[in-house]
Amino acid sequence: MASLKRSLDSDPFSANISSKVYVRSTKSGKVQKIVREVYLRQDIPCSSRLCRSCLKAAPRDAAGRPTTFVLSEAPAGTSVFPQGHYLVPDTNAFLTAMDLFEQSAAFYDVVVLQVVLEELRNRSLPLYNRLIGLTKSEDKRFYVFFNEFRLETHVARQEGESVNDRNDRAVRKAVAWYGQHLSKTKAKKVPAVVMLSNDRDSLRKAKQEGIPACSLAEYVKQLKDGDKLLDMIPESSDQEIVKEKRPGEPLYPEYFTMAKMMTGVKNGLLHQGTFNVSPYNYLEGSIRVPAFPKPLLILGRENINRAIDGDLVVVEVLPKDQWKEPSTQVIEEDTITKNENPDAEETGDLVSEKERKALQEEVKRTHSKTTEGHAQPTAKVVGVVKRNWRQYVGHIDQSSVSQSTQQGRKQDTVFVIPMDKKIPKVRLRTRQVAELVGKRILIAIDAWDRGSRHPTGHFVRSLGELETKAAETEALLLEHDVQYRPFPKTVLDCLPKEGHDWKVPESVDDPGWRDREDLRGLLICSIDPIGCQDIDDALHSRPLDNGNVEVGVHIADVSHFVKPNNAMDTEASIRGTTVYMVDKRIDMLPMLLGTDLCSLKPYVERYAFSVLWELTPDADIVNVRFTKSVIKSREAFSYEQAQLRVDDQSQQDDLTRSIRTLLALSRKLKQKRLDAGALSLSSPEVKVQMESETSDPIDVKTKELLDTMSLVEEFMLLANVSVARRIYEAFPQTAILRRHGAPPKTNFDELANQLRVKRGLDVSVESSRALADSLDTCVDPKEPFFNTLVRIMATRCMMAAEYFCSGTQAYPEFRHYGLASEIYTHFTSPIRRYADLVAHRQLAAAIGYEAVHPSVRSRGKLEAVCKNINVRHRNAQLAGRASIAYYVGQALRGKAAEEDGFVLKIFSNGFVVLVPRFGIEALIRLRDLADPEPAAEYDAESYTLTTSGSRAVTVELFQKVRVKVTDQKDEATGKRGVKMELLSVY
Amino acid sequence: MASSQHVLLSPAELAYLHASLSLTPPIRPDGRSPTQFRPLVAETGILPGTNGSARICFADGTEAIVGVKAEVERTAQRPGEETVFLEEGGAGGDGDDEEEEAGQGLDKRKGDASWVEMTVEIPGLRDDDSGTAFLAAMLSEALLADGEFAKRLWINRRFHWKLYLDIILISPPLSYPLPLLSLTTHLALLSTRLPRLKSEGDEDPFFDDDWAAAPYLFPRTTSSSSTPSSTTTKSPTPAATRPPITLLVMAVGNNIIFDPSKEELAVADVALAVSVTGLSPSHETETGGGTAGEKQTGRNLRLLSIRTIDPPSRLTAPGVANAANTAYGASNGTSNGTQKMAEAEAVEGVWRPPRGGAKRMVLGALVQKVLERGGVVDEVLDALEGADSG
Repeated sequence: MASLKRSLDSDPFSANISSKVYVRSTKSGKVQKIVREVYLRQDIPCSSRLCRSCLKAAPRDAAGRPTTFVLSEAPAGTSVFPQGHYLVPDTNAFLTAMDLFEQSAAFYDVVVLQVVLEELRNRSLPLYNRLIGLTKSEDKRFYVFFNEFRLETHVARQEGESVNDRNDRAVRKAVAWYGQHLSKTKAKKVPAVVMLSNDRDSLRKAKQEGIPACSLAEYVKQLKDGDKLLDMIPESSDQEIVKEKRPGEPLYPEYFTMAKMMTGVKNGLLHQGTFNVSPYNYLEGSIRVPAFPKPLLILGRENINRAIDGDLVVVEVLPKDQWKEPSTQVIEEDTITKNENPDAEETGDLVSEKERKALQEEVKRTHSKTTEGHAQPTAKVVGVVKRNWRQYVGHIDQSSVSQSTQQGRKQDTVFVIPMDKKIPKVRLRTRQVAELVGKRILIAIDAWDRGSRHPTGHFVRSLGELETKAAETEALLLEHDVQYRPFPKTVLDCLPKEGHDWKVPESVDDPGWRDREDLRGLLICSIDPIGCQDIDDALHSRPLDNGNVEVGVHIADVSHFVKPNNAMDTEASIRGTTVYMVDKRIDMLPMLLGTDLCSLKPYVERYAFSVLWELTPDADIVNVRFTKSVIKSREAFSYEQAQLRVDDQSQQDDLTRSIRTLLALSRKLKQKRLDAGALSLSSPEVKVQMESETSDPIDVKTKELLDTMSLVEEFMLLANVSVARRIYEAFPQTAILRRHGAPPKTNFDELANQLRVKRGLDVSVESSRALADSLDTCVDPKEPFFNTLVRIMATRCMMAAEYFCSGTQAYPEFRHYGLASEIYTHFTSPIRRYADLVAHRQLAAAIGYEAVHPSVRSRGKLEAVCKNINVRHRNAQLAGRASIAYYVGQALRGKAAEEDGFVLKIFSNGFVVLVPRFGIEALIRLRDLADPEPAAEYDAESYTLTTSGSRAVTVELFQKVRVKVTDQKDEATGKRGVKMELLSVY
Repeated sequence: MASSQHVLLSPAELAYLHASLSLTPPIRPDGRSPTQFRPLVAETGILPGTNGSARICFADGTEAIVGVKAEVERTAQRPGEETVFLEEGGAGGDGDDEEEEAGQGLDKRKGDASWVEMTVEIPGLRDDDSGTAFLAAMLSEALLADGEFAKRLWINRRFHWKLYLDIILISPPLSYPLPLLSLTTHLALLSTRLPRLKSEGDEDPFFDDDWAAAPYLFPRTTSSSSTPSSTTTKSPTPAATRPPITLLVMAVGNNIIFDPSKEELAVADVALAVSVTGLSPSHETETGGGTAGEKQTGRNLRLLSIRTIDPPSRLTAPGVANAANTAYGASNGTSNGTQKMAEAEAVEGVWRPPRGGAKRMVLGALVQKVLERGGVVDEVLDALEGADSG
């Protein structure tokens, strides 16, 4: 009987076939045995320019050209490898010190093994993407070597060997092979092939096998200027030593095993969610879980158990006797843990004395409460599913630096205080304390083990001096995860070759003119803020013979230039939106498109996507059509210019008249919207005026509202709604839309209660209409700002609007609460928002202009896009606001202003005041009122804080107060912020 | 089905065959001794994607493949005493209860017959053919009879392995395939491995991704069976049973013949399918109180089930004695009487299909023979074990 098994002995090519057998457990709980046959080859090149033999055998592309080899023929040397060297890092090296590899000072000619790359992808996708970015950059010379498929370097897993051990062995084998392989080349100086690893075991084995290998620290020391880089080596590499040093009791409870957590979550005994830290109290976190309508509270260090804001954690609900109320106290980390010593051995006492005191007061307060019903369920973190650590911006806590080590290059441990107050202090070891003090620095958190009160991290790079514009702006961008690097070459390659000379083709027969309407004859103009370069939209109107009016909204035809799925599209979809800072704009699309080719500049022909309505004089839509077009804008107005022109009755040209028509129509549209229940919400918006030369901020102004602004807004809303209807009709499952959920009633509980108690006013939230009406009634005849104040507070109770894919929601859920529109999308700003670009493509497909691209139709892909742009959108807003806040601080620098403010929020040990003039709010603590800190009594029922002793004042919610606003450098975050002092109470 | 296949033998040939098999010792057409099996070729691990597989080829050209696939399945929870609450060990984390329970022995492991699903495929027959269904029933009966096998599939109180056995005869059914299928299944189960469990208690199971670390469903004894006396310290926990085998045994007269060929089966007085399981020697040293000599030669065998097979001999046409044959001058007139005579009493050398059931004595002897220590079953099991490890 002939065996059915493949007999490897008789097969002459048996050496080329290997197989890999492993067990795969799927998420759904299936367990499968997987058998993979691996076909090994010998023509995978080493890619060293020294090597002739590989070049001969290397696969060629379609044109018969061999692939270019990556690794330099004369790589840089180090003190130990003067002949030059290639680096082969293992997975851990990349995992822990990716920042090092991105350095431009060193780390060239790196062989990235396939086994390392795959392992990295499984462990951390962001790091994987960064590494892929490195392999693509030509100057870093990173080469991906497919060691698993090369006959000589393939390694089969041995019995009883863990995957990690096998992979380490594969790395060593590849390193050894590279060494031998290169020594066969007849080069004069054969570079050494050096394995980089932090794994002691692997290093030891490499030594045994005679393979050149270094730990990261050893390697960096060999480099010139190595000292600086040393700091970037993560803490964890020294972990073993640290552990030996500290045999003390672990401070935090151990995490559950993954299997235990998953079982618990599946059974509903544990809950999974994203951990959020309260912005006012660093010891209080909350987590929203699907099982409960309200978030669970997580109080205290021990319960938070090493979770950091943003981590995906699993929590267990605590017994009812441990339920608490959310704190009414402001607890800031720096004030409580100010005097901790980063070097000190942790003495097993998790909760420091002061923290304990703060907790006692908490308990006292809870107990003195008559109404026990207010207690909220609390929970404790039992495990972390996924860390969402990113790089954090911060600065070194001056007080944690010991004087003796200010000079010299001794390694020192200091605390870094992150800019984001929700992130705990990070322990950092560095050799360059003296240089880094007073700088904005970027750090990464490496680990937080049970024995250490604070997480440990490592230094990534310095952004510059604190309070320099460049450093602060970059810090803001980093903190809000805004992609601000210049566009890579691959993206720029997607731009039209003509560059700025690109023009709309003259001949109407040109393919660019296919299905385009010639609207060059229309009197189109654009109205934008002063200095706007990326003009997305332009308008026109003209009377029709039947008494109706034709109105057109013309949007830059970005989708003509950005084709789906090319590098530029991918980059734009990642960036998601353009970010506007006070002095800077981070574009979503390259400048050439955004400010020139797409921008609907005046006096030149541009491609556009037009929405054309026929409106009755009462602004009812008779019909609407959509078309790609070519337009020529007659003028680019600023809001102010347009306003002047409209108001100037002597101007009677066609263009001005058409703007007046538009203005009249827009008022009617707005009235209709308000009648339907659209909300007019408010947020304190200010504008920073800059000195034109130095762009130093000189003054802050609240934004003025002009009729022409509302003109543009109304027609953009109309266009968005019309487009939303059309694409939903064409793609009921995959249209990209924008919704604004009705806020849950509970969101308004607090505000409604506050208004009732303080002013006897009722807020009704049954519908947006009811809310709009009741907000209108919230007026204080003596205080005109009161209404705005309420609107600002109401805005904070709202849900955030979000993009979604129509198939994921039922039609009634499409509703845009704020705009009181059944359906809505974003269509009018494709230069600065990616969602609009997608809507453009969908609309183009809907009107039969172009074929439906699969990416526009795939629901999964669209959902991913929506998710990303929702996050980006939010980040962009936050970054923009933070930028304004920073500049407001700068504008106030060195000045003191007395302003009116309003009390927005009250705590038992302080209150928050909003100053509308600057659009800023700040906390005034009891201890800021007077020295010594006055005693205070807080009545939570009536929202009143009464102080006595050194200073007696009574502060109530909504109260108008007079404050002195000065600038102050916030010791905690290093931000220059405003400080308010209470002068008097009205 | 196959047992009643038509045999193309004349009554005279049948009579001759029957006679030669009734001799002491019997003379079998292929010259085997009564307890000798047909030569076979076996190999395991032929299907890389399965958890275990085997293939056996008999010298007569019949051939079978068995593949075993295992899947994790949630155990249906019955309300009542068995309901598992997670706090008990899943989330609570206090291991005391667990250990105590484990100390009480293996009782907490429960098995269920529905955890094994067996399909038999015979070429040319529908899968709902009665013969196929009967074969499948006999094979799974042997597996599940003592409940020990299903217990092996227990993971924790909430999960178990579900085993799919696919048994395929890949040659035409030249002889009754039961022994072939049973042996192949046995071999496949011997080679079956299940991923190593890493989670503890009643958590959702979590497995080692290393296939090489996957333990065998039937743990292998490290030492060979020749030195069992030194292995007395073996851990008693895994009941070192082997998967069962089902043998076809027949009796002709007082002779007991193992593994009958198709022709031999055609003259059988009685045919039995006997399922036995072998407790491996290491287990035996502990339990068996027999003499040392016996201990070394064989293992404890345990009878799992017996099924009588309707032998095809019953359907053969009877021979006609010369005395009754008109062609040999028997008078037609008396034919009625003589025919009755022919039916009533056997005539030497004239084929007469067996009638009636098996004699109890013969049955007893059959079972005795099968369970004999160091006998046929032992030989077969040893051979198969060799095939697997080899």
